Amino acid sequence: MSPATPTRVRALARRALLAGGLLLALAASGCATVPVYQREHVTDRIMSFNAQARLDMRLMKSFDAREGSTGGTGGAGGGCACK
Amino acid sequence: MRWLPLSALAGVLVATWASPCVAMDDPDEPAAGTLVRFFTGSDHVTVRSLVGDYTFDGPRDLSLSIHYNNERVTIPAIAAPVGSAEAVDAITTASRPIAGNAYQDFSKVRNEFQGELTHGHFGADYYVSSESDYLGQEVSASYNRDLEGQQLNLAFGTSYGWDAIDPVADDDTHTGNSTKTTLHWDAVATRVVTPTAMVRVGVEYNVVDGLQHNPYRNVYAGGTNVPERHPDHRARRDAFVKFNQYLRNRSSLKLTYRYYNDDWGIGSHEIGSRLSQYITHGVFAQYQYRYYTQTAADFYRAVYATTAGVNGYLTGDYRMAALSSHLFGIALDFDLGTMAAESAWLHRLRARMSYDRYFNSNNYSANILETGVDFRF
Repeated sequence: MSPATPTRVRALARRALLAGGLLLALAASGCATVPVYQREHVTDRIMSFNAQARLDMRLMKSFDAREGSTGGTGGAGGGCACK
Repeated sequence: MRWLPLSALAGVLVATWASPCVAMDDPDEPAAGTLVRFFTGSDHVTVRSLVGDYTFDGPRDLSLSIHYNNERVTIPAIAAPVGSAEAVDAITTASRPIAGNAYQDFSKVRNEFQGELTHGHFGADYYVSSESDYLGQEVSASYNRDLEGQQLNLAFGTSYGWDAIDPVADDDTHTGNSTKTTLHWDAVATRVVTPTAMVRVGVEYNVVDGLQHNPYRNVYAGGTNVPERHPDHRARRDAFVKFNQYLRNRSSLKLTYRYYNDDWGIGSHEIGSRLSQYITHGVFAQYQYRYYTQTAADFYRAVYATTAGVNGYLTGDYRMAALSSHLFGIALDFDLGTMAAESAWLHRLRARMSYDRYFNSNNYSANILETGVDFRF
């Protein structure tokens, strides 16, 4: 296993920032405008990202106990001290 | 690492609150919800969870959410040969201490509390989880903003967690008190791409320092048993994309992909899908499938030739090995507000039942059963 040097940590942080910037740029560009009056379907409960956020957090905690990775539940914070 | 008394925290939160529960703007957030969850693994570990969630809207765009969870964990009597992986807590991965009579079930209770205050674009959060040998606390802050006529939402979050680990008396391991800290950042973008599709992308980064192995677990190495040893530092990052598509016949398909890696050498891929279908007005069924695969940590070995392990590290943790897993799930969601709109209080209720079946390549399987009710004020 490689030791975690400050240089290595900085390199990882740079890569994470780059990945984040690319993803955000991807999300923010290249889509047609969808007016509010055309959003009936995307506001339906079965389309919501947030409606099952707590369910996803509980599942993630169960997966954390059996698998070596974590994350993917999105959103800020979330209060899971197991990350 | 002082324990912040729940009563003091609750007092502060309540003192800042001016009005009782009122109607909520966000239909995604129930005003009050309660949930019962049962987790049973093939190693006979069981976890019973009683969960409560309450959200109050206040003046001046303030909102308070409170989350409570009481869990009883039962880990069966030790029946495994020396050096083999023991049954562990299905939520925290802690195994039982071996002391006194190890041939009887070991039970413990865990309580967790979370309070979140949001004001406009900002959110602040405090979390605490307490059990007999572990105290985890976390503070977090978040910011999110709608852009492009509410077509795009950008969210940023950070959190700092500090855990105090105080292993109870144990006959065969002798780990003293330890700590662990976790620093977390995330950035998430959510966008409406067409009148029937949305996409969410995000990145997360965690730096974990401190005790990260199981203080009760031994590893069979060089012909003897030695305590497990993991590195004290771990940098973990992941990126994910989620795509939701509304389909004909009042159904939706949700697809997810996540890539993760860390500096212990573990890399993983996860794909998931959820199909939701309205059965009748206000009732929908949901079918879920998830596939997961990961590589092993650099210091993982099925057999260690010497007690020095790999660079001084040894693990008996199956999570450090290469593995794959599957999850199948089914759920029913009832919105009684639609089914019984004329009822004075039934129309405020929503109920959900779900069953998930998990199994992985370590010959482990689990059943997860949940049932819950939400009440909208």
